[in-house]
Amino acid sequence: MFEGVFTGLATALMPFNLLMVVVGCFAGTFIGMLPGLGPISAVALMIPITYTLDPSSGIILMAGVYYGAVFGGSTSSILINAPGCASTLVTTFDGYPLAQKNQAGKALALAAYSSFCGGTVGAIILIFAAPALASVSLSFQSSDYFALMILGLTSVAAFSGKGQVIKAMMMTVFGLMIATVGNDVITGAPRYTFGQMDLVDGISFLLLAMATFALAEVMMTIMRGKMYSTSETMKPVALSSMKLSLDEVKEVAPTVARSSVFGFIVGVLPGAGATIASFLAYGLERNLAPERLRKMFGKGALRGLAAPEAANNAASTGSFVPLLTLGIPGSGTTAIMLGALIAYGIQPGPRLYVDHPDVFWSVIISMYFGNLVLLVLNLPLIPYISRLLAIPPQILNPLIIFFSIIGVYLVSFNTFDIQMMVFITLMAVGLKMLNFPMAPMLLGFILGGMLEKNLSRALVVSDGSFDFLWNRPLTFSIMCITLIILLLPWMLNLGKRLGTRLLSAAD
Amino acid sequence: MNLTKDRFGGLLFLLLSVTYGYYAADIPLLPGDRFEPFHAQTLPYWLSGLGIIFSVLLISLKSEPPSQNEVISRSNLVLMLGLMAFTFAFSVALPWLGFPITTSIFLASSYWLLGERRIKMLLFASVPFALVFWLLLTQVLDVYIAPARFIFW
Repeated sequence: MFEGVFTGLATALMPFNLLMVVVGCFAGTFIGMLPGLGPISAVALMIPITYTLDPSSGIILMAGVYYGAVFGGSTSSILINAPGCASTLVTTFDGYPLAQKNQAGKALALAAYSSFCGGTVGAIILIFAAPALASVSLSFQSSDYFALMILGLTSVAAFSGKGQVIKAMMMTVFGLMIATVGNDVITGAPRYTFGQMDLVDGISFLLLAMATFALAEVMMTIMRGKMYSTSETMKPVALSSMKLSLDEVKEVAPTVARSSVFGFIVGVLPGAGATIASFLAYGLERNLAPERLRKMFGKGALRGLAAPEAANNAASTGSFVPLLTLGIPGSGTTAIMLGALIAYGIQPGPRLYVDHPDVFWSVIISMYFGNLVLLVLNLPLIPYISRLLAIPPQILNPLIIFFSIIGVYLVSFNTFDIQMMVFITLMAVGLKMLNFPMAPMLLGFILGGMLEKNLSRALVVSDGSFDFLWNRPLTFSIMCITLIILLLPWMLNLGKRLGTRLLSAAD
Repeated sequence: MNLTKDRFGGLLFLLLSVTYGYYAADIPLLPGDRFEPFHAQTLPYWLSGLGIIFSVLLISLKSEPPSQNEVISRSNLVLMLGLMAFTFAFSVALPWLGFPITTSIFLASSYWLLGERRIKMLLFASVPFALVFWLLLTQVLDVYIAPARFIFW
């Protein structure tokens, strides 16, 4: 393992890769600050640039952008009460009240320190957890992979929130349907191409990611009319001192430690991600806080700010575990990274650890550097970076649209792709207006090809019988976990209803 | 039964799944594929079936009240559709007018559509940007961008 760590360290310490971390963190912070554009959009916007780089540098850049975007989201949450992404929504609960109390500098510093600690704890656990899981998963067969992919797809849907489970499942199926467009990976038969030569290779992952996240998000911002109100509301409050007293550090230290470990564990679960981790950590800290401090939650409590920040960063790190070891993305952002890795010709999964140790370890090591860069460089520069928010939205939005379409065009040099983007963006906007989540669709699309290949192999081996699902203990266990995860929201709901009925009957 | 957003989405998805399943029959199979446990039509048929099941579930189950009511004004919808039309026009004009001219027109018209009326701003944020970006791509990054077709007329 240490040999791998040194390989990763050597790759991550190369001047160009260090530059990529810095550039990624800055670009991510800026994009993440823009309300509506979160880590998924930020990483999607970077993909065309990474295609010109070698795999390690490309993934390092994307990891930097990921962290930067989460940090940028926290900054806009604290300064202008506009979370850049869902995972920093909880940060507004106590971050913005602190800023209104003229403690914006302190809030930003606390968010950065908590994020740094969360990321550091996450990176340390990842160093030990990822290789252990990777070595176990080397014994996986097609049926296990098929079961794992079903687990990944199901859990993304199961964690998508009340009333959204069926919609998320539908979007997963929709993503799988889109993945079948083009020549069949096994027989080469054309599927759903309708005689169009441009569809023979299928729909590009980059096109789909850009259209459904970057372009669709900008269009939704314009449709919601936020771009006009932003110029008034986006005036950041003045920054004050960024120093924390010793008592304050003592107060938040246990919170940060707890939330970091908790966030990492939640992040490892496929589909759970940083948003759920931040909400759960906030709830946990509020319940653990003494009565005196509990009243402060929502009014500018330091613990209330530190908990979600540490948890969302640790969860971001944790979501790399299933990606790097099993090839199954733990979140929408890591789903995009998975697509980028596949485009490089690298198949994430247990073999990544063996075949490309430089990529595997340099990503892990660069995560730590990314956190360091955010703390040392980005935090002092926040007052200057936040001035970029002053670019008028009527200028900024067309530029984002331009970068999205030109990013796709520069990969294929085919204008049909831009027309396809327009079509998919309109479809995505329609689906967003009907409250359909987009991440499950992208995940379904990315995993579609692999799922079909593994299912085909498993069925051929078992001579067309589905007994591979229960004959192999590992496959059976994964399928059982899938079933539990799928039924969990309904079971919890049922339990709640029963409890309420029993209580009312007792009254 | 009211036609809520969820039910409308469910109906659309039902239509999509049925159409998807219908066209699955058009996928050509290799000789003997029909006797294989898995072929090019297998997954599309399963996905179509799953899509139909989920759509029917969404249509028939009691829908949750939306967490936030989005109010989309007509003017904002027109803005969005206008930008999409400009993007489409960009893709059509790009091979004919070339990168710098198409990009300049696309950016200037998009700024104007979104409310920018200062002529200086419209020009400075589009023409120099397009030229610098084009030079960066072609001269620095050595990316080949096809010249405009009208040059060869």
